[in-house]
Amino acid sequence: MDFSFELIIASLPQLLTGVGMTLQLVAVAVALGFFIAVPVAILRTSRNPLVQALPFSYVFFFRGTPLLVQIFLIYYGLGSFEVVRNSPLLWPILREAYWCALIAFTLNTAAYSAEIVRGAIMAVPFGEIEAAKAIGMTRVQAFRRIILPRAFRIALPAYGNEIIFMIKGSALASTITLLDLTGMARKIVARTYKPVEVFLAAGILYLIIVYGVTWVLKRVEKRLSITPPRLPVKAEDAGPV
Amino acid sequence: MNRDAGAGAGAPALEVEDIHKKFHGLEVLKGISLTAYDGDVISIIGSSGSGKSTFLRCINFLETPDAGRIRVGGEQIEVRQKRNGTLQTSDRQLVKLRQRLGFVFQNFNLWPHMTILENVIEGPVQVRGLSKKEAIEKAEALLAKVGIDSKRHAYPSHLSGGQQQRAAIARALAMDPQVILFDEPTSALDPELVAEVLGVMRGLAEEGRTMLIVTHEMGFAREVSNKVVFLHQGRVEEQGPPGKVLVDPDSPRLRQFLSSHLH
Repeated sequence: MDFSFELIIASLPQLLTGVGMTLQLVAVAVALGFFIAVPVAILRTSRNPLVQALPFSYVFFFRGTPLLVQIFLIYYGLGSFEVVRNSPLLWPILREAYWCALIAFTLNTAAYSAEIVRGAIMAVPFGEIEAAKAIGMTRVQAFRRIILPRAFRIALPAYGNEIIFMIKGSALASTITLLDLTGMARKIVARTYKPVEVFLAAGILYLIIVYGVTWVLKRVEKRLSITPPRLPVKAEDAGPV
Repeated sequence: MNRDAGAGAGAPALEVEDIHKKFHGLEVLKGISLTAYDGDVISIIGSSGSGKSTFLRCINFLETPDAGRIRVGGEQIEVRQKRNGTLQTSDRQLVKLRQRLGFVFQNFNLWPHMTILENVIEGPVQVRGLSKKEAIEKAEALLAKVGIDSKRHAYPSHLSGGQQQRAAIARALAMDPQVILFDEPTSALDPELVAEVLGVMRGLAEEGRTMLIVTHEMGFAREVSNKVVFLHQGRVEEQGPPGKVLVDPDSPRLRQFLSSHLH
């Protein structure tokens, strides 16, 4: 087999538009997912079983089934209901593969993120919450000022993982005709019969994306760290904590 | 300043009546009452398991008492009985009660994602609605008073335990509480750091602050408080001025307790 660097160079522009689609899908899904995840996580920490029931079922379903199945259910499944097809509101959205993928990704990442945030909320030291109560904060104030800011810092490493999973999981968008990075690579391979070069190039592009995201996350983690390293600790100040 | 037990003519700053608390069927508090007048410094002593921390936590509802009445500055905190028998206050009442009662924890419980200054202004700005500028001015004065104004932009994890506890005291003071509750404020500290925290508390007592202190520091209790309450198995076993309670107690249990704590 002869390896063709020329082909990699030649297909780069197309692959880069695929990168654009991948980044767009993941960015929107992660951002929307986060706003769904936080209230779901808060409801999940409720001790009331009635409040818990709905968020629990949601998380249970979206974490317990493959993302591919969720994409198919939304793209092929919902479209088979006449109600959906006849709806002037739903059909323009649900007949588009792009929106279906976005909905599936958003709901999927929201479910995982909700569990990450819930775990982090539970991990906020109880004494810090008591201090918020003791100073006279209401429950809402304590959540907004103490519990959630603390939980986000605790959640960050795990949440970073979830974003990276989502980047790689987004390759499944290609199964419903979307030309994300993987979809674009498949399209080029179908034309050129050169899977090694094209998928290798796609793989390297994924690596670069993930590396970039990891780098950004590391910076954020450092910034939000509660022990900023730029402040040197003098020996006599460092007491037992 | 008159520091005799039960001094003060006006309304008591804090009245606690007949507090009961059970944990899983175990009765920890069997009806404790206590009255603090303005300027009173009351030390609450007792062996571990005597219920002294639980009692202090019941006063500001960090634990919800099963029965009892609490009155701060002459104002009764309304409580209603839940179906399972425990008492509950409305959220608004709770917030009001807690603003009037400062609480200093054994483990400081500073918020680690905020600087010392941010910790101190958090309550005044968020709960009392002070302007940030006003709160900062006040916080800086308080941090100077507890001797850590140079640390105001540091994070709690960069401070020693003694400094953290002093910051926590400043945080409580920033709310202008009528009464400050101290829950074993020096128990989590290395021995060499205890003095600096006790020094700050002594200063507060001399200012005439009303304080309730759960403590194991008998020397401090004797020196600073005008009243000592000894709890034993969820009841007040003996109370009175420290010169009597800590020196010549009536209760044999207290005598035994003191002999194991004074040396």
